[in-house]
Amino acid sequence: MSSRRGVGLGAFTDRTSTASAYQTRGSELKQSRAASLLAQREVIQSLLHNFAVQHVDTIKANPQFRAEFARMCHAVGVDPLAGSNARGKKSEGGLRAKVFGADLKDFYCSVAVRVVELCQRTVAENGGLIGVKECCEAVTRGRAGLIGGGLQVSEDDIKAAVKSLEPLHSGFKIIIIAGKEFVRSIPKELNTDQSTVLEILQLLGNITISLLVLNLSWPKARAKTVIDDLQADSLVWVDKQCPEWEYWSPHGLLDED
Amino acid sequence: MTTLTQNQSDPFKFSEHYTGYPPFFTLQTSASARQAQLKRWSRLIQRYCRHYKIFQISIVDYQDKDLFRNAKLNKKLYPEDIRTVIDFMVSQDGQQRAEWVTSAKASAWIWWRRPEEWATSIAAWVDETGQKGSVLTLYEIVEGDASENQEFHGMDMEVLRKGLAVLAKQNRAQVFGTDDQQGVKFF
Repeated sequence: MSSRRGVGLGAFTDRTSTASAYQTRGSELKQSRAASLLAQREVIQSLLHNFAVQHVDTIKANPQFRAEFARMCHAVGVDPLAGSNARGKKSEGGLRAKVFGADLKDFYCSVAVRVVELCQRTVAENGGLIGVKECCEAVTRGRAGLIGGGLQVSEDDIKAAVKSLEPLHSGFKIIIIAGKEFVRSIPKELNTDQSTVLEILQLLGNITISLLVLNLSWPKARAKTVIDDLQADSLVWVDKQCPEWEYWSPHGLLDED
Repeated sequence: MTTLTQNQSDPFKFSEHYTGYPPFFTLQTSASARQAQLKRWSRLIQRYCRHYKIFQISIVDYQDKDLFRNAKLNKKLYPEDIRTVIDFMVSQDGQQRAEWVTSAKASAWIWWRRPEEWATSIAAWVDETGQKGSVLTLYEIVEGDASENQEFHGMDMEVLRKGLAVLAKQNRAQVFGTDDQQGVKFF
């Protein structure tokens, strides 16, 4: 193969200038690409806005539709909930606020209110820890005897609603125990031992002191302290009607009425 | 006006926390969990008694019935715990949903409807059926055809008397006659 490369010193300057020419062209292309992408994004966002305005009722009523809509928003870099907090500030978040009208904001507010209500109502028996799934079911079911009944929500909605409470410093947050998501409504932190026990509890359903001693090689006193603490916070319930006392997670409890 | 729709021969349907949650039968030590648990037991007992139209329960007779004993889980609420639950139901916290028959605490009235609530629904029924000013026997109220679809149809006579006593106090009724031949006039 014959080389068309120039020889001699001249070739060096030539190469540099070619490289810089490529670079200029490249950045030009990049810029125009970016500009056109930006324009496209704006178009999509404005379409999304129109869509949201047109279909707000469906978005509110149908959890599946809402989830798809939220996914679409994330794809174009719009956070459905950031919008609700940025309302009024025209410069930042202006678009977001536009895309998500007051209607949808109200929707997440009412979900959040119900989550807070539910957590308060059940804190005595579950120590302020409730599964996102159970939470979702309870909110969907609504409270018996209350007119208006339930709200059609998905687990994503519950999580989004809990997240929307963050600016209030309410202490509500989503935590994960053994792969399962929970709403934690009490700001009290769990120590490592407590988290470990809760994880095991989540996997097995119930535990005994000797099971902890055996599996974690903990001294008995350590296991007992953790259980006592969890019990004092109503995070476990005891069943004394068995050969060795069994400790259960209170999550089997949410139902009835 | 509530009408009686449930068929009493249908067995009472226990909810999941009862059928699938063993610690429910051990009174919890943490104060908040115990309070929540007592409330649940109170609701369960009221719903159960309402379903079967039970007005009074004796601990001895009921401790081994399905209300307090879950054969499948092999768990039961022990008599002293039943007493604690009923004590709670008697209290203000428990919204006075029970009343010990005697201070021996062997049996208790379960007020799934309190006497005042019975009084209200009987008075409303008398009103609706235009029986104001007329005299009815107690038997008629409880067993008569006219009250057939009322919740108080078939109710305990003594509870009825307690309810009517409430109305009498408000000068809305007057009870007369002797024990098994009592009548009542409404005004």
